[in-house]
Amino acid sequence: MSHTLPRTPCSIVPPHLLMRLAARQDARFAVAADAARRALRELDPLRQAREESLRAPVRRPSAVVGTLTRRIHDAGGREVLPGALVRGEGGAATGDPSADEAYDGLGSTYRLFSEEYGRSSIDGAGMDLAATVHYGTAYDNAFWDGERMVFGDGDGEIFGRFTASLTVIGHELTHGVTQYSTNLEYQGQSGALNESLSDVFGVLVEQRALGQDAAAASWLVGAGLFTAAVQGVALRSLAAPGTAYDDDVLGRDPQPATMADYVETASDNGGVHINSGIPNHAFYLAATALGGRAWEGAGRIWYDAVLGGSIPTDCDFPTFAAATTAAAGARFGATGREAGAVADAWSAVGVLP
Amino acid sequence: MRIEITRSGGVGGMTRTWSLEVSRAEAEERWLPLAEAEAGPGKGMQDAGPPDPARDRFTYRITVGYTEVSVPESRLGEPWRELIERAREAGRARPAPGPGEGSGPTTAAGDGTPEELL
Ligand SMILES: [Zn+2]
Repeated sequence: MSHTLPRTPCSIVPPHLLMRLAARQDARFAVAADAARRALRELDPLRQAREESLRAPVRRPSAVVGTLTRRIHDAGGREVLPGALVRGEGGAATGDPSADEAYDGLGSTYRLFSEEYGRSSIDGAGMDLAATVHYGTAYDNAFWDGERMVFGDGDGEIFGRFTASLTVIGHELTHGVTQYSTNLEYQGQSGALNESLSDVFGVLVEQRALGQDAAAASWLVGAGLFTAAVQGVALRSLAAPGTAYDDDVLGRDPQPATMADYVETASDNGGVHINSGIPNHAFYLAATALGGRAWEGAGRIWYDAVLGGSIPTDCDFPTFAAATTAAAGARFGATGREAGAVADAWSAVGVLP
Repeated sequence: MRIEITRSGGVGGMTRTWSLEVSRAEAEERWLPLAEAEAGPGKGMQDAGPPDPARDRFTYRITVGYTEVSVPESRLGEPWRELIERAREAGRARPAPGPGEGSGPTTAAGDGTPEELL
């Protein structure tokens, strides 16, 4: 967020140079690096905290008490970020459904992580939550750009506006949480786990907002995005991967539910949006076996695993399965039904024997 | 010469394919040099430097004759955008495609430039 850095009259060295200096490990530059780090701290303590959390991903409770600060921008149909500010924290509703859905969705996502898991915003250090709506022309996508969520309006023929699904808003913001925690590489199995975490916490944001227990939930990601012309209900289904749509233009939902149908592909970063069906389904199986509020049982376990320190950036499915099983044991007891349900779920999808 | 464009990724993870025919002269003057420059040294997706933190963005695979390049959405310049728009228009003029072979009403490639990432 270099564009938000305050300009201070006492610092003539631009922040990006300070950051390069501050990162120097060379002994010859130790004094300069030290001075640069001090200057950076003075420049913006919050930014400093954020950079520290990026270097040492947040696997600890938040040190900063969080306040919810949202900023919604409008790109006005251009592919330029961030666009014009249309609603800040506490501002009145704009009357634009996209801006207001983004604002409300950021709040619901923030509250799940803050009130259930004690996490202060996505970086664990109180970072502002930013979104841009009306990005591009007939743009059929929503994405995380590394510091904000970005939503297109859809083309109106296949997709409507992408803010219409709370699960998609939760999905994009969870990419931010992952960036500042496990930082899972966006390729192959670790990429599919990155995608799956976004789907899992995306559906949990919605379930919590609706007060739905595991049995009542739809377990769909992106329900309500398709126009009536599309044969399909959502982008993905955690309950039944591979069944979310079957349409003559879009083809069939390609997600596997088990390792037997794992898809080897070069496209989509090695099928990160495809093979996520497998860990997604494991989460669904564990959550429905445990019953009740999924964000308190299976969701809590998955979040514990994320912070637990045993998930490397290139994590594969078996390593993640072991981490969640261990997290269930640590929180609820190694011989408890929780650890059993999690281990059974990973066996059912063929990740564990 | 046939040009095929496959778009993957996006939050939906849906793969769409569009294609069009251009004259050999046009391919050799405009698209092959662009594709070769894109495929050349230092332009691959595994460049040094910090990994791109963006998630759920599109990737375009563009095949011109026997030359194939992969271009992330964030690096999609104006000439490629023009080509993609033409391929989609060509798709719209044809009858409905088979499954997964999207050519119907579509998506991305707005007329703007991703200035924030250039
Ligand atoms: Zn995603």
